Amino acid sequence: MASQNMDPAAATASSTAALKGSESGGSAARGSVSKRLQQELMTLMMSGDKGISAFPESDNLFRWVGTIDGAQGTAYEGLRYRLSLDFPAGYPYQAPRVKFVTACFHPNVDEQGFICLDILKDKWSALYDVRSILLSIQSLLGEPNIDSPLNATAAELWSDQDAFKAHLHATFQQ
Amino acid sequence: MATPVNIPAPSKTWELSLYELHRSPQEAVVDGTEVCVSPRSLHSELMCPICLDMLKNTMTTKECLHRFCSDCIVTALRSGNKECPTCRKKLVSRRSLRRDANFDALISKIYPSRDEYEEQQRRLLERLQRLHNPGALSCSIEEGLRQQARHRNHRVKRPAQESDNTTFSGGEDNGDSRSHLSHDSAPSQAPHPPGHAPPEAGPSRKRPPPSEDGSAAGPDSGSPTPPPRRRRDGPASEIELVFRPHPQLVHAHDYNQTRYVKTTANATVDHLSKYLALRIALEDGAGQRGAEPGGAGAGGAPGLSSVSEKQYTIYTLTRGGPFTTLNGSLTLELVNEKFWKVRKPLELYYAPTKEPQQAPPTAPPTAPPTAVPAAPPLVAPPAAPPTAQPPVAPSTAPADAPPVAPPPASPPPPPPHRDG
Repeated sequence: MASQNMDPAAATASSTAALKGSESGGSAARGSVSKRLQQELMTLMMSGDKGISAFPESDNLFRWVGTIDGAQGTAYEGLRYRLSLDFPAGYPYQAPRVKFVTACFHPNVDEQGFICLDILKDKWSALYDVRSILLSIQSLLGEPNIDSPLNATAAELWSDQDAFKAHLHATFQQ
Repeated sequence: MATPVNIPAPSKTWELSLYELHRSPQEAVVDGTEVCVSPRSLHSELMCPICLDMLKNTMTTKECLHRFCSDCIVTALRSGNKECPTCRKKLVSRRSLRRDANFDALISKIYPSRDEYEEQQRRLLERLQRLHNPGALSCSIEEGLRQQARHRNHRVKRPAQESDNTTFSGGEDNGDSRSHLSHDSAPSQAPHPPGHAPPEAGPSRKRPPPSEDGSAAGPDSGSPTPPPRRRRDGPASEIELVFRPHPQLVHAHDYNQTRYVKTTANATVDHLSKYLALRIALEDGAGQRGAEPGGAGAGGAPGLSSVSEKQYTIYTLTRGGPFTTLNGSLTLELVNEKFWKVRKPLELYYAPTKEPQQAPPTAPPTAPPTAVPAAPPLVAPPAAPPTAQPPVAPSTAPADAPPVAPPPASPPPPPPHRDG
């Protein structure tokens, strides 16, 4: 027993063994997903972040509409984008499918509005939520990853910020 | 730190941050000192970052010491990257976790009844769900508006009561504390020394009923009491109106703002007209001051002192008929009952008074002569302060519907405090 105090591995070995038996199926029941989404909604409504917002599209808690305002000092300043967020039954263990609804001219956004962002793919963590996703996309707008573009034209134009901004604002459609 | 698989010799190097290396331990609280922790910060400590619920069967990562519900972290490790969801530290398997029974004990100490907590949480979310349903949302917006209106009534009523047993000179700044005083010992206590206040204090308390017969009492009495502000308790004592430029008589280059005004229903058309003249003079003055910083101060003052209710004529639009000039001595309540009748904000029109038409409005000579000397000190307070603030409030009322939406949204904030 004394050795257990010295050796954390040994101490936990027994408890993990016990855990194995008691561990539940871990199925992400739909109820727990909507519970989490409701919690998120509540936090979002209370936090009052500027420049982002999100709300369930209708009665369906699994589909939200979000908006992002282009950050100040970036080419996107003054533009507002709408996005759709679809939450899978495996949320938050699986990332939601996030898409631009408003057409977005950006190196990492394609014509259908799909976004190339690591945290929405392999770098997803269950700790991300709607708020952090929208904030990440907002900062992606101002800091694109030019090396892996979905929109090559936008990536090429990015180096010339004046031209980029001119084209962006000329083609922007609500 | 190493993974459990290759636990090396006892001489381990711990990766401690600078803060961890230098911090001194906090002393234990042994006496009766109470430490206050806000429910919100407590909640963030006791919450599982994955399900956002209170930790259940807490598991702690051995290396980075982040806590999760057992179910949550196990599912996360099975379905995603083998790393700590909080800090991305590698988590090879469940062996990288340990049960945190102490933390479970702590939680059950703080929340002895988990069922109760969950019930509370459920109710909270239910309420939220009702909110996010669009139909219910508009319902609760209405409720919010109603509540706001109720508060607004309170706010206006209190200074009004005060003005009944003191004079109006008190202003509204510290009306709160004073009105409590005057309730307790109104007759004996004369918080304001303005001469006739004490003698008036008693009778004026009984005066409201007599003032029922109309606003004429105000100017006629000749005393610097305000126009009786409280005829009846209830919404009728206040009136909201939309104040537009006369479409035919006001030109685009003239002053032509639409104003939203809320004032007492027994204010007269003259009050309104004077208020308008004052506002326009003030705003013109501000404009000039901006244009020519030098001579503005001198120019502004005479402009304000010469302000009179004769500068503007007020019209109403009768149903299907032409614009009707309103007599200055009419109370707004009367105007509302006579010409408007709809349950909507009263709409009035203004235009600069034309010289030839000047005569008729002045026709009721009793009002201006008595009112004008009394007016500058007294008319301005009743008309200006209540209206000066309403332009913010009622003007927002139509457009404010969205900003009002937060109230329904804001009920949620308190609850989290409660649940922790």
